[in-house]
Amino acid sequence: MNQEETVTLDGLIEKFMAENPEIEIQAQVVPFSDAQNKFKTVAQAGDAPDVFRAEIAWTPEFAELGFLTPLDEYVSSQDLQDYLPSALRYNQYKGRLWGIPQVTDCLALLYNKRMLRQAGAEPPVTMEQLIRVARKLTNPGEGQFGFFWRGDSYWLTPFIWAYGGSLIDEDDGQIHINDPGSVDALEFYIALRDEYGVVPPEVDFANDYENMLVGFKTGKYAMIFNGPWATADILSGEEFADPANLGVTRIPQGPAGYGSPVGGHNYVITSSCQDVLTAYKFIHFLNRAEHQALLATENNLLPTRRSAYDLPQVADNRIIQGFRYQLEVANNRPVIPEGGLLFVDFTPNLQAALNGKKTPQEALDATAQAWGQLLER
Amino acid sequence: LSLFRVIRRQRLAYLLILPTALVMAGIVFFPLIRGVIISFTDMNQYNMGSKFIAPAYRFVGLRNYIRVLSSSQFWDIFGQTAIWTVTNVFFHFTIGLALALLLNRRLRGRALYRMLLLIPWAVPTYISAFSWRWLFNSKYGFFNLALKTLGLGPVSWLSHEVWAMVAVIATNVWLGFPFMMVVLLGGLQSIPKEMYEASEVDGCGRIRQFATITLPLLKPVAMTATLLGIIWTFNMFNVIYLVTEGGPHHQTDILATFAFIEAFHQWRFGMATTYAVIILSILLSFSFFYIRALKGTEEIY
Repeated sequence: MNQEETVTLDGLIEKFMAENPEIEIQAQVVPFSDAQNKFKTVAQAGDAPDVFRAEIAWTPEFAELGFLTPLDEYVSSQDLQDYLPSALRYNQYKGRLWGIPQVTDCLALLYNKRMLRQAGAEPPVTMEQLIRVARKLTNPGEGQFGFFWRGDSYWLTPFIWAYGGSLIDEDDGQIHINDPGSVDALEFYIALRDEYGVVPPEVDFANDYENMLVGFKTGKYAMIFNGPWATADILSGEEFADPANLGVTRIPQGPAGYGSPVGGHNYVITSSCQDVLTAYKFIHFLNRAEHQALLATENNLLPTRRSAYDLPQVADNRIIQGFRYQLEVANNRPVIPEGGLLFVDFTPNLQAALNGKKTPQEALDATAQAWGQLLER
Repeated sequence: LSLFRVIRRQRLAYLLILPTALVMAGIVFFPLIRGVIISFTDMNQYNMGSKFIAPAYRFVGLRNYIRVLSSSQFWDIFGQTAIWTVTNVFFHFTIGLALALLLNRRLRGRALYRMLLLIPWAVPTYISAFSWRWLFNSKYGFFNLALKTLGLGPVSWLSHEVWAMVAVIATNVWLGFPFMMVVLLGGLQSIPKEMYEASEVDGCGRIRQFATITLPLLKPVAMTATLLGIIWTFNMFNVIYLVTEGGPHHQTDILATFAFIEAFHQWRFGMATTYAVIILSILLSFSFFYIRALKGTEEIY
């Protein structure tokens, strides 16, 4: 949770206490990088706070560890209808509901409208068009490239789904990361650099997130993938002095359709909570459509309620609506306790493939093997 | 003489060290022994037990050790750790010694130089590590911009298997030489001036003085400092984690960073303590032989 989100949330908490003078809320902000381990430590000893904002991958993990209270009997059927299925999905584990979705996100195609217009190109809808458009926008002599990808496996996942691969089937525990579709995806990813030359030839895995943003903001890269969290920073760039120059649309379709990883956060109630009804009243309040709209417009987050997207301030927000368009066809990551750790083994193997140390098949076989060990527990 | 009688005879002495001994037992020996025991179990976050779930971990004998020691990746990373440690300590020592020798002479503004040379040590590690990470940036970093003006590059500093190791070592050399410099300077200043005067009378040259007086008399200090340096560098987590995160594809991982990913991300305590015990054993046996090897040549003067 960043500084601005904390401010917005503090305001909501004040409002809740004013409406419910008999309830007192004590909020504690923990840096995101420490939150998971800190929560586990206190929850393990039975001293967890009543309510916690858990990253989507932590939710099944905490549920498995017995740290959460199921909320099936508290969440109304209207609410269940209102929540976006992909965001709600991350709260469903082992047949029960363990939280309610606070915010959601996904990767989408962000593009520089001016650059595309000058090249006479429309935003690509298929992977073939991605190559064609990106080629038109590439001029290596000027350091200008049509597209930019990262040595981070999260950025590869849209291609995995678009080419018919997948990560892990959460129902039967089967690993699909080295299926033919997944291998096609990685081969295409590498071909974007080696065959089509539309991404920069040199890699810099430690800095490529920053380099991607700087290059996009200065008009060196015409198209990138990124999430709603990055839009405030992008709009501060010289190319986007006019915010209308930023295009947000779906990541192009591959042979097997669309792909984009859904992320986000949930509100959960812990098993140490003595008064679940009051705790639920509180998170339900925070999650009202108008409050989600507030968080969305002030902090560039995506609401999880359909009704929040219809509120005027969100409906008029072109960027949020662009991401919503992507969300309609985005993919859930496996809802398993190990979900957050998949990329830990995946990314080094992707980098080995990008550096030519492993073939795509070898890299994904190694990933599958590491995931097998991860799942055996 | 039984132990009991020894204790009785020096009752006061033992009484005085009792509080320290108890604290040591509580914060060092007890966790150490418990750690060793856990390394023979399959303890992880799911079976360790909590307020809500009873513990269900089991003893698995040497399984964790076999798993770690039989993986080829472990030995690759052990090799990287050795390269990392030896190269770093070598440069820490040589640069530190050269600067200490310079600062030991009477020169104008010595205090100022000494202060400036301590800067790498005084800056918090994460600030300098992030600065170096940016210096090595392939597009906007100082090194590649400098190479570009010379018509060279660009080099993928942090993503090339060899250059990435060069980059993290360079960062850590910069961070680590001030400690060696300060310790060796202290050692140099404790060498009696009379030694040099006497040798001058005997007609010794500068180089001879260095080889026969400075180096031998610096040895006790240098030995302790390098031993500490080796242990610290071997376990240096921050620099690698902050500059390359062990990448590309584990090429700059050392045992300390690798064990962190392998074991702590999911609270696999059995594996985590196995790594800890292995690292501890490596360092203990190294220290033992290091001290013994150097002891043989001590007390020349």
